[in-house]
Amino acid sequence: MLEIKNLHVKLTEEDKAILKGLSLTVPKGEVHAIMGPNGSGKSTLAHVLAGRDGYDVTDGLMSWNGESLLGMEPEERAAKGVFLAFQYPMEIPGVAGLTFLRTATNAVRKKRGQPELSTPEFMKVVRDKASKLNIDIEMLKRPVNVGFSGGEKKRAEILQMAMLEPTLCVLDETDSGLDIDAMKIVSEGVNALRSPDRAMLVITHYQRLLDYIVPDRVHVLADGRIQASGGKELALELERSGYAEYKGKAA
Amino acid sequence: MAQDGVVEALKVERPMTVQIVRTKAETALIQAYDAVERELPGGAWLKARRSAAIGSFAAQGLPNRRVEEWKYTDLRAGLKEMYPLATGKVGGAGHSAEAIIARILPGVEASGFVHLEDGRGAGFAGIFSSKDDTSPYLADLLGSPPAWLRAELERGMATGGTDGIGSLNAAFFANGVVLDIPSRLEIDQPLVMLFTDGGEGRGSVFSRSVIRVGDGAKVTLVEVHCGNFAAARQVSAATQLMVGRGAMVTHIKFVETEADDVHTGKWDVRLGSEATYRPFQMTLGSGLVRNELALSFDGQHSTLDFGAAFLAGDRGHIDTTLLIDHKVGHCTSRELVKGVLDNAARGIFQGKVIVQPNAQKTDGKQMAQALMLSADAEFDSKPELEIYADDVVCGHGSTSAELDDDLLFYLRARGIPLAEAKSLLVESFIGEAIDKVEHDGLREAMMGHARRWLAAGHVGA
Repeated sequence: MLEIKNLHVKLTEEDKAILKGLSLTVPKGEVHAIMGPNGSGKSTLAHVLAGRDGYDVTDGLMSWNGESLLGMEPEERAAKGVFLAFQYPMEIPGVAGLTFLRTATNAVRKKRGQPELSTPEFMKVVRDKASKLNIDIEMLKRPVNVGFSGGEKKRAEILQMAMLEPTLCVLDETDSGLDIDAMKIVSEGVNALRSPDRAMLVITHYQRLLDYIVPDRVHVLADGRIQASGGKELALELERSGYAEYKGKAA
Repeated sequence: MAQDGVVEALKVERPMTVQIVRTKAETALIQAYDAVERELPGGAWLKARRSAAIGSFAAQGLPNRRVEEWKYTDLRAGLKEMYPLATGKVGGAGHSAEAIIARILPGVEASGFVHLEDGRGAGFAGIFSSKDDTSPYLADLLGSPPAWLRAELERGMATGGTDGIGSLNAAFFANGVVLDIPSRLEIDQPLVMLFTDGGEGRGSVFSRSVIRVGDGAKVTLVEVHCGNFAAARQVSAATQLMVGRGAMVTHIKFVETEADDVHTGKWDVRLGSEATYRPFQMTLGSGLVRNELALSFDGQHSTLDFGAAFLAGDRGHIDTTLLIDHKVGHCTSRELVKGVLDNAARGIFQGKVIVQPNAQKTDGKQMAQALMLSADAEFDSKPELEIYADDVVCGHGSTSAELDDDLLFYLRARGIPLAEAKSLLVESFIGEAIDKVEHDGLREAMMGHARRWLAAGHVGA
């Protein structure tokens, strides 16, 4: 279970509070959506969960399966099952996709006490998972994300997620830059990973993605706090009425 | 000449009288020449040139920061003393050439090798011994050199290095490799030239190699400079290379140094027409290294594709200096230099490209990039384009940067530990230069050295 209580976060470089007492609980087996206007703190929440530098947690708690994530290095969090699908996946010139995937997969397996995959074992798994995401294995021989389209980068993110077998998946605006076909493929990939052992937090600005990844709960994040929570119908309501009501509430 | 322990002053006629005070090393070098002059190989023709060269050195001294080409590598300040001339007597059981090749170029099947220990011939095999009984050692040929060799030596000594270091090499060189590749001969696997120390503590070594590649020939040359007994060396290694019409030459240099080593190397290359020349220089360590390439395009439609990768730590100093002279038109030059600098290491790139007035349709591009692993590291980059023709495409760029925090986070968020994430990023950075090596075995060997350097603690978390 992901438990976030009264989380306060500010930028390290500036004296600017971004999350102002955010509380949220996502039980295993559930998919929760976080929706909110630009600047509400959605991406900050995603980055703080993954352990990115540049943010200071000034108050509150954040734990996964009862273990506090605060102060944990990003690689430790990954080993504990936290996975962040980036809004803007990075390009890594000079590092082949397969090398990157194998290094990452075996690093987390080692940390989790699982045997590392040999090259043939790894290739078998990656071929299987890549084909389901409509990713050509030749593409993975090229440097990570270099020259990829927006859709290809997002599919590559989901492939990484499938390979690392996380238990807490945080998807940061995975729908941004995707056309409808790419969104379907990505959503199928995400849905295939839904399981009773896995919690998912889907962060999005638009309701559209939630037609494909149907959430158990929807939360509205504005001005650094959860302003409202409800079932999947809340997303449809937001689509009609917009965020104006919550922005007003925040002010 | 100076007496022992007396610093000699030389008056030089200038508008203002300037007094040059010789450093201890400069005085020692001049005295050393007087001591060994009679023993140096070669007939009267060579002795006259040696004598002129030491005179030139006496007049100008060691290169220093007032000499523009040596602005960042001040040997007058950096070379505190001259190590005694290494005699080439092997101090004990060193490593065999085969063992050194296995360490430096694992997995590479050489077509032949020639080995020099402190300038002394230490064995050769393969192509170097196959055709006739001609020795691959310059020392054996200097008594009555073939006409081409003598002409090339005379040219190289006159023009291929007239600064202090070039003069010293011309005065002192006693041996080197001579290789004459016949026209149209194609040799698939590398020819390896090993230059190692022969033990006996500190020493200085001067070598000059002369290589001629005939028209249409195809060859991969590998020059390896590394320790054998881990005795500190001051090495001056000059290579003169003539590339014939339509020939294809890959030319790799590997230099590995430790803190007290000084290596000054110069490649003096002339390219005939329609030739392809692919030099690559890999330098590792914490010594002082200067790798120079002076290349002249003598014939049209030729290509230069230069790559260099260096990884320096501690107080290492690695200087890559290029002088590319587009004398004729329709030639292409590419240079990519990438360096990784840790601790208080310093990297230097000087890239001068001259496009002569009639060298139309010249296409030249240059890039120098440094990755700084430490706040104390320094990278100095000085690209210089001198373009006298009007129908050319030339460009250059230079960057120096630290590891990208966003990329590091991305890798760590995927579970890759910090040290490993740094290694991956450094490897990918330096790998772009190493990828210029087309020969699979050589490329893998060079990449292996980069990984070994990283694993030796240069990306510690």
